[in-house]
Amino acid sequence: MSRVVTWRALAAFGTLAALPALPGIPTYYLLLAFDALLFGAIAMSLDLLMGYTGLVSFGHAAFYGLGAYATAILMERGVLSLWACLGFSVLVVGAYALVVSYFATARRGIYFALLTLIFAEVVYTFFRYTQTFGGSDGIQGLPDAELWRGVPIDTPERKYYLVLAYLALAYATCRVVVTSHFGRVLVAIRENEDRARFLGYSVQRYKMAVCLISALLTGLAGAIYPIRSAFATPDLMGKVGKLGRLLGPRGLMPNPKTGTVTPGVGKAVTDIKGGKIEFRVDRHANLHFVIGKASFTDAALVENYAAAIDEILRLKPSAAKGRYLRKVALATTMGPSIPVDPGKTRGLTEEPQPN
Amino acid sequence: MDYLVAVLLPQLLHGLVFGAALGLLALGLTVIFGLLGVMNFAHGELYMLGAYAGIAVVGLTHSFWVAMILAPLSVAALGAVTEIVTLRPIYRREPLYGLILTFGLALVFREGARQIWGGDMRRILPPVTGSTPLLGMTYPNYRLFLLGASSVLLLLIWVFFTRTRAGVLVRAAVQDAEMLDGLGVNVPRLFTLTFAGSAALAALAGLLLAPVFTVYPQMGVEMILLAFIVVILGGMGSMGGSVVAALVIGIAQSLFALWMNPQRVAIAIFGIMIVVLIVRPRGFFGREGVLE
Repeated sequence: MSRVVTWRALAAFGTLAALPALPGIPTYYLLLAFDALLFGAIAMSLDLLMGYTGLVSFGHAAFYGLGAYATAILMERGVLSLWACLGFSVLVVGAYALVVSYFATARRGIYFALLTLIFAEVVYTFFRYTQTFGGSDGIQGLPDAELWRGVPIDTPERKYYLVLAYLALAYATCRVVVTSHFGRVLVAIRENEDRARFLGYSVQRYKMAVCLISALLTGLAGAIYPIRSAFATPDLMGKVGKLGRLLGPRGLMPNPKTGTVTPGVGKAVTDIKGGKIEFRVDRHANLHFVIGKASFTDAALVENYAAAIDEILRLKPSAAKGRYLRKVALATTMGPSIPVDPGKTRGLTEEPQPN
Repeated sequence: MDYLVAVLLPQLLHGLVFGAALGLLALGLTVIFGLLGVMNFAHGELYMLGAYAGIAVVGLTHSFWVAMILAPLSVAALGAVTEIVTLRPIYRREPLYGLILTFGLALVFREGARQIWGGDMRRILPPVTGSTPLLGMTYPNYRLFLLGASSVLLLLIWVFFTRTRAGVLVRAAVQDAEMLDGLGVNVPRLFTLTFAGSAALAALAGLLLAPVFTVYPQMGVEMILLAFIVVILGGMGSMGGSVVAALVIGIAQSLFALWMNPQRVAIAIFGIMIVVLIVRPRGFFGREGVLE
């Protein structure tokens, strides 16, 4: 075996490749394995920077997020080819990483961590407030990508093998980098930057190069992510700990949007038992919510309605100007709706006085 | 003229007020960086905890003035304990460990605050109400108080560093902590006290700005990024530089908000930083090669 490929690595990849063939393995675990492999690849690319070169990057979330957005934006506009999406992601992430790495490596020491963090925050702010790309909701409900025409990556097995192939590519890249002369220079820079410089190495160029490789690997992981879960949101950046959020849109899992993925499980259960309702705002600024069920008494329904309207008015942001509630309509499930006077909220629950 | 008085002037003052408070935050960051060689990523969370501690004290005593004393003290105590328990054992390691450690501390503090106080936005009522006619406009009294308080604090800090023995010791430790240790000064204690002092400053900034902004667990994140930009602009490790840069950023931020979507201002501020980094990589007052 060569220095680059070891028996241990081959055995590990063989085992991983055999995983979907295990009898009775649930789909959920395959998708979980998808995440594990993807984050494994990101950790490796981060290790190139932090472990081998001694540069702490707090901005990898932006490479990941940009890659995801590049793919999602293309797919949303009907480009389903996997290769087109990945290629576009590489271009976008590469261009961004070139700028970041130039500024972040121009000075030594703490600057790298600070500048990568600040750059990442700007990318986050940009996507968070740009409605063209979905604002804070992100891009959701994407179709399945196609490996080539007519071969969609739709089953969990196909998605799993896609990410496994990517992991193999990332692993091979990292191995080649660290076993090469280039990798030795990186370690030398970590150990003693001045000495590496005196030996004639252009330290900044090496740092930029490794930063670029690491960014592209992370960006590719991001590009693959929307294929797995079919959406990209600004929160992909930075909040890797909150993976529960990402498991929702297929309807396979509890969803943080409805509050069923939450750190406070006990509280969520009592809240829902106690009749907690969720507000939902659609794209046209309509607010939808349920105020009761058919089994409720009339008085209870009216009381719920009044409470909900009061709550909405209470939550009105102080910056909102003009009339906050323009129209209110009530409807049964699948029934016609009846307009209601939104001005009347107080005194609804009292009995009409005979005069 | 109307435009000047009605729009430009208040916005300029807003910027000055915000910049002065930002200066308190950035100053603490700079001193800690100079002293420990660690960029304290948890500084924004100390700022956030100051505001929450203030809410707690105001809830108990119904006095903003008591909170102005108790909140920074409690956060300073927390800072001292944090420093002794987590930072002190890794002084001799590479700065890389300190970075990752404070980044983790920031997460712990932020999520801890969310657990204790919940994620809702809160407010503190300003202790000073009403407004004063000033240069042809009316300006809220609380903001004037804020400007006064921050300026006095900045002045006191300057006096501390130039006129008192303790301040000179801190500056000496920034220059050469090992030599100071050799001269018989208890350097670990000095580090702990400085860390606590910088935590108290951050907490005070958080409390002072709380009636103007809202209080929520993530409030520190936005501020810390601005403070980082300020420290980079001012020149790493230059105290005067951070104060000047804080005022520049504060005013730039509020002026940009006039002409562009406020949510995009962060990107414009960032543009300033890029330009300064290209034209003058060491920042306004930074010396070449210091603390790299």
